Amino acid sequence: MTPSASMTSTAGSAAITTPSAAEPAFLERHDLDALIGALQAGDRRVIGPTVRDGAVILDEITTAAELPAGVRETQAPGRYRLEEGRKGRTFDFTVGPMSPKRWTFPARVPIGTARREAAGTTFTAATPDAPPLAFLGVRACELAALDVQDRVLLRGPVADQDYAARRRSAIVVAIECTTAASTCFCASMGTGPEVRDGADLVLTETQAGFVVRVGSDRGTRLLEGLPVRPATEAERDEASVGVAEARSAVRANVGVATTGLPVRLEAALDHSRWAEVAERCLTCGNCTLVCPTCFCTSVEQVSDLDGVESTTQRAWDSCFSAGFAAVAGGTFRSRPQDRYRQWLTHKFSTWVEQFGTFGCVGCGRCVTWCPVGIDVREELAVIAPPPRPSLPILSIPAPVPADGAWLRSARILGSHRETSDTVTLTMAWIDAPHPRPGQFVMVGLPSFPAAPISVSRVHDTSIELTIRAAGPATAALTALPTGSEIGLRGPLGRGWPVDRMYGRDVVIVAGGIGLAPLRPLIDTIVDDRLQFGAVRIFLGARTPRDRLFTSELSAWTEAGLLVDETVDRAGADWLGRVGVVTHLFDHSERIPEGTIAAVCGPERMMEATADVLRSRGLTDDRILITLERHMDCGVGLCGHCQLGRFFVCRDGPVFSLAELGDTFGREGR
Amino acid sequence: MHGGEGRGTGSGGGTAPAPTVERDFDIGQLTRVEGEGSLRLRLRDGKVVDARLAIFEAPRYFEQLVVGRQPDDVLDIVARICGICPVAYQMSAVHAFEAAFGVTIDPVVRSLRRLLYCGEWIESHALHVTLLHAPDFLGVESGIALAAIDRGAVERGLALKKTGNHIVALLGGRPIHPVSVRVGGFSRAPRVSELAVLKPALDLAVEQSLAMVDWVAAFPTPAYDVEPARLVALKHATDYPMNEGRIVSSDGIDIANTDWSTTFRESQVEGSNALQSHTLDGRPYLVGPASRITLAGEQLHPLAAEALQRTGLAGEIRTNPFRSIVARAIELVHAAAEARDIVGDYRPPAEAHVAWQARPGTGGWATEAPRGLIFHEYRVDERGRVAWARIVPPTSQNQAAIEAALIGFAPGVLELPEPEAHVRIEQLVRSYDPCISCATHFLDVTVEHEPPGPTR
Amino acid sequence: MSRPRLGVVKFASCDGCQLTLLDLEDELLAITDRVDVVEFPEATSARSKGPYDLLLVEGSVSTPEQAEEIVELRRRSAKLVTIGACATAGGIQALRNVAHHDSWRAAVYPEPAWIESLSTATPIAEHVTVDAELRGCPIAPGQLVEFLTATLVGRRPQLPDEAVCLECKRAGRVCVVVASGEPCLGPVTRTGCGALCPAFARGCYACFGPRESANVAGLRRGLVADGMTAAEVDERFAGFTAMAPAFAATASKAAAAYREGTVAEPTTDRVEVDDARR
Repeated sequence: MTPSASMTSTAGSAAITTPSAAEPAFLERHDLDALIGALQAGDRRVIGPTVRDGAVILDEITTAAELPAGVRETQAPGRYRLEEGRKGRTFDFTVGPMSPKRWTFPARVPIGTARREAAGTTFTAATPDAPPLAFLGVRACELAALDVQDRVLLRGPVADQDYAARRRSAIVVAIECTTAASTCFCASMGTGPEVRDGADLVLTETQAGFVVRVGSDRGTRLLEGLPVRPATEAERDEASVGVAEARSAVRANVGVATTGLPVRLEAALDHSRWAEVAERCLTCGNCTLVCPTCFCTSVEQVSDLDGVESTTQRAWDSCFSAGFAAVAGGTFRSRPQDRYRQWLTHKFSTWVEQFGTFGCVGCGRCVTWCPVGIDVREELAVIAPPPRPSLPILSIPAPVPADGAWLRSARILGSHRETSDTVTLTMAWIDAPHPRPGQFVMVGLPSFPAAPISVSRVHDTSIELTIRAAGPATAALTALPTGSEIGLRGPLGRGWPVDRMYGRDVVIVAGGIGLAPLRPLIDTIVDDRLQFGAVRIFLGARTPRDRLFTSELSAWTEAGLLVDETVDRAGADWLGRVGVVTHLFDHSERIPEGTIAAVCGPERMMEATADVLRSRGLTDDRILITLERHMDCGVGLCGHCQLGRFFVCRDGPVFSLAELGDTFGREGR
Repeated sequence: MHGGEGRGTGSGGGTAPAPTVERDFDIGQLTRVEGEGSLRLRLRDGKVVDARLAIFEAPRYFEQLVVGRQPDDVLDIVARICGICPVAYQMSAVHAFEAAFGVTIDPVVRSLRRLLYCGEWIESHALHVTLLHAPDFLGVESGIALAAIDRGAVERGLALKKTGNHIVALLGGRPIHPVSVRVGGFSRAPRVSELAVLKPALDLAVEQSLAMVDWVAAFPTPAYDVEPARLVALKHATDYPMNEGRIVSSDGIDIANTDWSTTFRESQVEGSNALQSHTLDGRPYLVGPASRITLAGEQLHPLAAEALQRTGLAGEIRTNPFRSIVARAIELVHAAAEARDIVGDYRPPAEAHVAWQARPGTGGWATEAPRGLIFHEYRVDERGRVAWARIVPPTSQNQAAIEAALIGFAPGVLELPEPEAHVRIEQLVRSYDPCISCATHFLDVTVEHEPPGPTR
Repeated sequence: MSRPRLGVVKFASCDGCQLTLLDLEDELLAITDRVDVVEFPEATSARSKGPYDLLLVEGSVSTPEQAEEIVELRRRSAKLVTIGACATAGGIQALRNVAHHDSWRAAVYPEPAWIESLSTATPIAEHVTVDAELRGCPIAPGQLVEFLTATLVGRRPQLPDEAVCLECKRAGRVCVVVASGEPCLGPVTRTGCGALCPAFARGCYACFGPRESANVAGLRRGLVADGMTAAEVDERFAGFTAMAPAFAATASKAAAAYREGTVAEPTTDRVEVDDARR
């Protein structure tokens, strides 16, 4: 996940021109080596289909002899077998377990290295190792998949530099399908079998060779060096007939009814079928790793025995593993049915709201390569059959751009112990925009995974991070002395919408360490007190010794904020209230209309607080919360913090309950 | 692990002769061998009259675990008898099944199996020579301690071991419990390019093993001869023995390697969890590198034969157990050189494995594990599953010979201060490279002094 | 600063897991520079009864002495880590837990009374608390290095609990179930080996044991649908981690099938008691 701040244009070539239907060329079959030779110019490696271990896979090829001539396959849910294809055909198969994603988004890629020396700690981002490639034999569904991944990895606010480098340098030679497997459903997903754009050259196979169309300026230049001649009308007709046959074959397969599907799926989150699928689903993750659009990754550390030098690498991961959605307290998707639902609804529903297309391109790989043959088409037909009433699609909040390629070194100016397990580090903060209240930073040490930490106070040249030692990484951070260096990235995320609170009454509710991301909001209010109406702060902690920032309470009171505290349990020397924080509302007056509430704490506490606030008349658009999720990158690229149509790191972590809707508080989301 | 520590018992009462000096030898667990056992020496009037090896490694009942299983599953299971020599178990088993079913393997597969065995020999011998046995000769307690005084030698041994492991991992996926051995061949045969990566490491391995021969040949070595040496090994017309050959001995045994049971037998000894072996006439015998070099030395790779000649120790290897470390080093040269030849000539087989059909019957087969002859025999029923199994590891075959050698050796060292006597006795035991998970192992040395008086 | 004290001990097992430590040829001396190997009978004559900062335990508990020994070792260890299928799941020998131990003993030894073993081979965790485990038969060298590195550095060891399938797909292997109909336990088995078996054109046999959410029933149904008999599928689970809780019920059914009339004949006809040495 090496982002660049600027957006890159569609990778592949310069301007893509629509193929000219008037001038298709023809390449004889025996001249395929000439094509491969032309693609290899400039030390380019050609990636094409070849047979190995009983399947048509993709690998580097150097001659046309390595292509799977005379081979076809039968595919069915959980089954793939090679067999003899039509004589003389070179591409008489469809797709195998691999897709170009293997090269544009490899399974393991280094992100950067970190070195801890006496002179200082340095973090060095990795430069992408992207040798120029040419993909030969890319299908329409795979072109659509490349476009889908471009939307995710290139056209968001933060682009993945590694992906961009690989995409930009790749030539794409597509082949139109003239056959279909029983698992293909590109037609119903609107992605094939015809190739429209996205390729430099488009080949369509006939008995004697290939009709060739150009799809870009680069394609035109390539074509000029090939032994081609204009295609005859008969050849063009044969090509069209071939593709039309593929289309009929696909249409005869089971498909997916896509109209209104995102909304229908969203409405079916409690369908009984999820539990039934979960009995069959092995949560093995095969579907996600053969899928050409899945992009979720995790981050691994490789370090030496002393932890002096470490490399961080990004590896394919899957939302089907329990650890994918885990945080220090447990995992958000503990049940297999939660994970299957997450995958299917992301692919066919929330993906649309996030990226403007379905995540699925109808290639059928997940159906074939599922060891127990679960078929998404069948599941969708049961879970979300048409027609259904439509629900309004809410607008997506504007994401906030982040800076920096990876972590950068920052020095600890001070360390203050707040409670037995919580420390506030004051970090030097220069050459970066000031974090807004509610934003966070990713914090890392060499050899340890980075963690998202809220900014708990902002000064001119420093910031404060309040960290609870919940696991080895945060424990290591809290143990660091002044003068140490750690890695920071940010500021990240969307913070509290302070300007919505001007002129209004504000209620702030904090549970435990939840006070940390709220403190900058309180600071802002205190600094500019007259801009806000009545402000009340309700604080909850487990025990008196777990209360945070106790020395500041009097300053807040002096500034005219009402502060109410409670603890869950206490000994005899505590003279204050005992009970959960929501009980504080029992003693308070009615909440005036127009009040905005800002809440942060354990998720159960926020749910309970939301219920109380609603019962006091607050509408969902006025209740703001901030969420914690598993984050590896912090910029919306690794997929871990996906929640419905949001990435918590990028679209949040502050949300209004109106935006979250049903998603907040639903088990297993 | 630390169990079974015996103590020397005192003398009884009785009249007359002057009391003998009693000493307790309590070595505790023998270290730097693989396994646990105890040695009890019985002295009468200063003479050692009995040495009992009690092996108390917990029995895992492999001969019962394989009953009811299919042959390919048996190959996975028997590997787990030993983590150092899993290939030896897989090779003996696979050949025993192929003998029972009448399966003929591709000649390239034969070479690949020899290459696999070379890999294991290299790994096992390099481990034993460098980490387990050399420390005794150099007066240190471990290979780790040896690294402090001669890091180069330890690194060389580790590099050789790594090359041996690399060979097994290339052919079988991992060096311990490889996954690709199947009845009829391998589940997958390597591509030429995959084996070619071994070439530089094998060139280096030949040099390193030659250097190792010089190193061990120069060790200060106790002089102790077991005569007459009764040696047993496989012998093949053209190849140094690994997967094929006839079972021969230094005193005239010469039988097919399928027929071990006609000439040898196993017996149970009280106090030991391992069965022992003797020839049918009850006499002990020795298997292992010393036996192979003595009986099959003509088939050594020329480089190894030359190295042996240069040491001038062929005669001592035959009779002095402490010279077995030289025998192992010579076999390292042979394995490295043969592996290099096989890799250089390799072309993939037509099929990685041939089709086969199980049929009811019995098949037995002996091969040469790093530690010596190993014999498997299986009876297969009509369902194609194992009905009965016999698995005879090399170390259990050597036990009687080890005990006999100790009886001869112990008197010479019992007068030394106790810690030194322990070290000497352990050094002798280690020269047999006993593999105790195979046979279950060593070693608490206990000396019991039988009370003087009327003999039993 | 003193180095952490490391002990390596073995119960009923093949030795392969502790050998894996010696097989870290490139890292071994660097590791022994940073930890003090105070007890490792296989590798050193230096002995120590403890205390240990880190104790690696291989093997299952198979004899009465071992059952006592492990309790004592736990007392002397700050951190006790089990390594390998025998220590974490009982190993292949745990199949005797569902067999007739006495008849097995009699089948192998003509004087079974001379052999003292328990009727079960049990994992270490059934006897004492275990702080961490490394799975595998044998354990994977990479995971051992990661565990030792993480322990020295202070981070959480990265030992993912996910299906073998993920590593298989990352490595670009073709699924043997889907493309060849080979039975493979990868979907229910914990990763760590690097997806070895499919790389060698055979199915995974679960030597790393079950992963979280192992859907054994689902995989069984899937393999039967592919054409195997239920008995053949059950047998796939009767391997080196047969007695791991997720597999035990299925493995026991297979072991029961072996038991029926398939105990080997007594061995008195071929192995004698050595009368001279009673």
